[in-house]
Amino acid sequence: MSEVDGLTPTKTGDERITYRGPIKKLLVSPEIGALIGAVVVWAFFWGNGDKFGTAGSTANFLDVAAPLGIMAVAVSLLMIGGEFDLSAGVMTGASGVTIALMAKYFTDGGISLWVCIPAAFLLAGCVGWWNGFLVNRTGLPSFIVTLGSFFVIKGANLVFSKRINSLVNVSDVDKAHGYKFFKAVLGGENKFGDMKYRDIIFIVGGILFAVLMILGFIEQSLVRKQSISASDLIVSLIGVAGATFGVMTLHRTDSVNGNTVAGVVGLIGTVLAIVFYARARFEKREKIAGGFPPAAKTLLLLGILGTAVASLTGQLFDRNEERVMLQWMPTNLRLAVAILGGAFPLAMTIRSFMRGDIERRGRVISLLILRLPIICLVSLTGVVSLFQLTTVQAVRAVIITVAGTGAATCFYQARRAAGKASTKWFVNIGLLMTAAFLVVAFALRADSSAPRFRGGIFTSLLLGATLVLATTLVEASHRARTKADVSADQLGRRMILLGLIIGGIALAVRLVLSDGVFRMSVFWWMFFTMVGAFVLTKTKYGNWIFAVGGNKDAARATGVPADKVKTALFVATSLLGAFVGAMILMRLNSVQAQQGDGQEFEYIIAAVVGGNLMTGGYGSVVGASLGALIMAISKNGIPAAQWNQDGRFIFLGAVLLVSVLVNNYVRKKANEQR
Amino acid sequence: MSNKTPLLELENVSKYFGNVKALENVSTTVIAGQVTCVLGDNGAGKSTFIKIISGLHKPSAGKYMFEGHEVAFDSPRDARSLGIATVYQDLAMAPLMSVWRNFFLGSEPLRRFGPINLLDSKFARATAKEEMAKLGIDVRDIDQPVGTLSGGERQSVAIARAVYFGARVLILDEPTSALGVRQSDLVLGYVRAAAARDLGVILITHNPQHALPVGDRFLILNRGQSVGQFEKADLSFERLIELMSGRVHAA
Repeated sequence: MSEVDGLTPTKTGDERITYRGPIKKLLVSPEIGALIGAVVVWAFFWGNGDKFGTAGSTANFLDVAAPLGIMAVAVSLLMIGGEFDLSAGVMTGASGVTIALMAKYFTDGGISLWVCIPAAFLLAGCVGWWNGFLVNRTGLPSFIVTLGSFFVIKGANLVFSKRINSLVNVSDVDKAHGYKFFKAVLGGENKFGDMKYRDIIFIVGGILFAVLMILGFIEQSLVRKQSISASDLIVSLIGVAGATFGVMTLHRTDSVNGNTVAGVVGLIGTVLAIVFYARARFEKREKIAGGFPPAAKTLLLLGILGTAVASLTGQLFDRNEERVMLQWMPTNLRLAVAILGGAFPLAMTIRSFMRGDIERRGRVISLLILRLPIICLVSLTGVVSLFQLTTVQAVRAVIITVAGTGAATCFYQARRAAGKASTKWFVNIGLLMTAAFLVVAFALRADSSAPRFRGGIFTSLLLGATLVLATTLVEASHRARTKADVSADQLGRRMILLGLIIGGIALAVRLVLSDGVFRMSVFWWMFFTMVGAFVLTKTKYGNWIFAVGGNKDAARATGVPADKVKTALFVATSLLGAFVGAMILMRLNSVQAQQGDGQEFEYIIAAVVGGNLMTGGYGSVVGASLGALIMAISKNGIPAAQWNQDGRFIFLGAVLLVSVLVNNYVRKKANEQR
Repeated sequence: MSNKTPLLELENVSKYFGNVKALENVSTTVIAGQVTCVLGDNGAGKSTFIKIISGLHKPSAGKYMFEGHEVAFDSPRDARSLGIATVYQDLAMAPLMSVWRNFFLGSEPLRRFGPINLLDSKFARATAKEEMAKLGIDVRDIDQPVGTLSGGERQSVAIARAVYFGARVLILDEPTSALGVRQSDLVLGYVRAAAARDLGVILITHNPQHALPVGDRFLILNRGQSVGQFEKADLSFERLIELMSGRVHAA
């Protein structure tokens, strides 16, 4: 055989592909948007009023969210497999109605739930199979097929419950045989005593979580040294001691002033611990001597502006003011707002006119006479109705959250831009960012009478400041790794995983045991999320689901039974619908025939908010579960903040749009930088 | 050069669709470790030819022999079970799935964990990387979606996958048609590397510049007819172009 010049295989790694650090890897995972969203939305409502986020209300909204969460798991799997199920919502009602009607009327005395519930599951399985069969056989979009099923089942629910029970709801199944068992398994509430060591478990768990996350990220981002420097390690350990002392003292004492020393010691200790740990184990880097990078200028100014707005808004508005903006504003100010609302588009129009070329100037008449009044009117109506609808405290919370997170993002980006040009400015901007966190922390604390602000938000922001300072110092003096290092990456991943598990347990202990009630619905939600995520990522069936959604022909060509996979997904969705129906029936002891009607869109929204692609082939079960959590938080948080209940629909729509845009943007950015 | 027994032999194969003669009296040999190029302009019958080899069509006349025995395939699955693998232009991959998931799609490696069979992702990642390295492809991140790879790299994943799953005859359908110069060179390198691992490779292309450097044997088709099969030594670039364009007939 002849060897051909230039065509001998060589190692051909593309030099344009750069190594992705742990944070970028995190950003390309589909559930990250939902995770951030859940934290932000939760923090938003938590900071907005005293009623949200207490143990009792948390237990409540988790219970409300459970059916949605369970269905989101199934719907997201189906969506990844490239299909929709619009009959998923009414399926929950259908199974409830089936069980209740059978239990009461199948024979004169009704029959055992041990028969009714499996029967309902069988029925649901058949519906799922039928959906899958039709989609596979006819090639019609699942949207149409399941829309048909939706109407048929909806009609059947109403017809049968009215004819047999002569009402649109069926209740009192509690006399049926087996009720006790199913009530305990599906709809039970388990009471625990208040746990004595709850807080200490939470704090220790939280600290371990933070430590493991930090260690894991450092491990994955930096280059290991040949040997460990002992002196640096000792300083780091002293830092750990300081941090521990600080946290423990803060936990024990309640007085604000007495905490200052402990707080300062704790914060300095934490920074020392992280910085010197990095010095001990990882390689240093050369300083980049450069001037201030112009790219960072605008971002920096925006960051400072955002910080100022976030700190001042708290002082300007009263956080207990529940009137709507327009009522609260003095009459003169209302007039000013109205004029501004009209003037803004005027200014924009004039600006675009001044910039325009001759041809556009020719259209000046049509612009002034036809379009300008319309634009002004729309803008004015928009501004006025916004102020008519929102309360002062809502506007305040929105401004603080948006300005604060915006400022943090701007600072972060400015720091990143500066990092490429100059080490000095990287550190300077990092210090400024730390200062900004501190300013906002103290501004919010000073303003508020609520213990939550003095304690919770203040502490979180201080922790944020510490983390910013530590990462700035570490990144400035250590070389970032540009290659994969298998053992370090694995160690880092394991640390993060362990941290997440410990943190999750600590949070669960805090949330579940504080109220003393644990509802089975929440257990099932977690159970199905874990099973779904497991199947999707750890088994071959998960691979098949991704493949049938991503490229059905390819899946079939490589031997995946594509039709069977789709049918199985439809069956699973219907079965989970039946499960949720049974769960709600056992919980409420009655079922409405219209139950679940219209919910199918909420399931889809939850899945989409969770980063699942509408077109299939990409997504995450955990993300969908988090998407359901976001919706539940907003459903519960809006009344808790004493806003108009109906506002949740506005919120839902906004959350859907924003989260999809953010997901797409993040995914695009992260993939560009691969 | 060709003292081995041929892996695959076609003798005077024809295919008719009704009264259309898609292919008439075409013969070729594929030998392990060598690349047989099938050249021809659009409509020359290249697609029909691969479809016969890969078992999608049955020849209307002529002999199809695999390792000296005559065979008749009822479906592509029969061909695949003998180790005749086809890499089509669309590559049969899901663009949003990672390289290793695509590599093992449909034949996932499993690991027992108690009563459950887990996807052995550690093995899958390592093997996918290793198998591609054997063809000279260094994928930095085996977790990146196939959609973010370049066209040449995507081809390479498909080739490595076919080789790993025991292909003995590898049919490549226009692997360079949508690629730039550098990417085409890479893919042709992989083709050579696959042949070096003792596979019989059939490379279908309409680009003589790509065929000449890698091929050992050239089957030239024109309007459903075989212009002839040539050994590399008997062919120059100019001659190849002349034969392909159909201006000159083989002596």
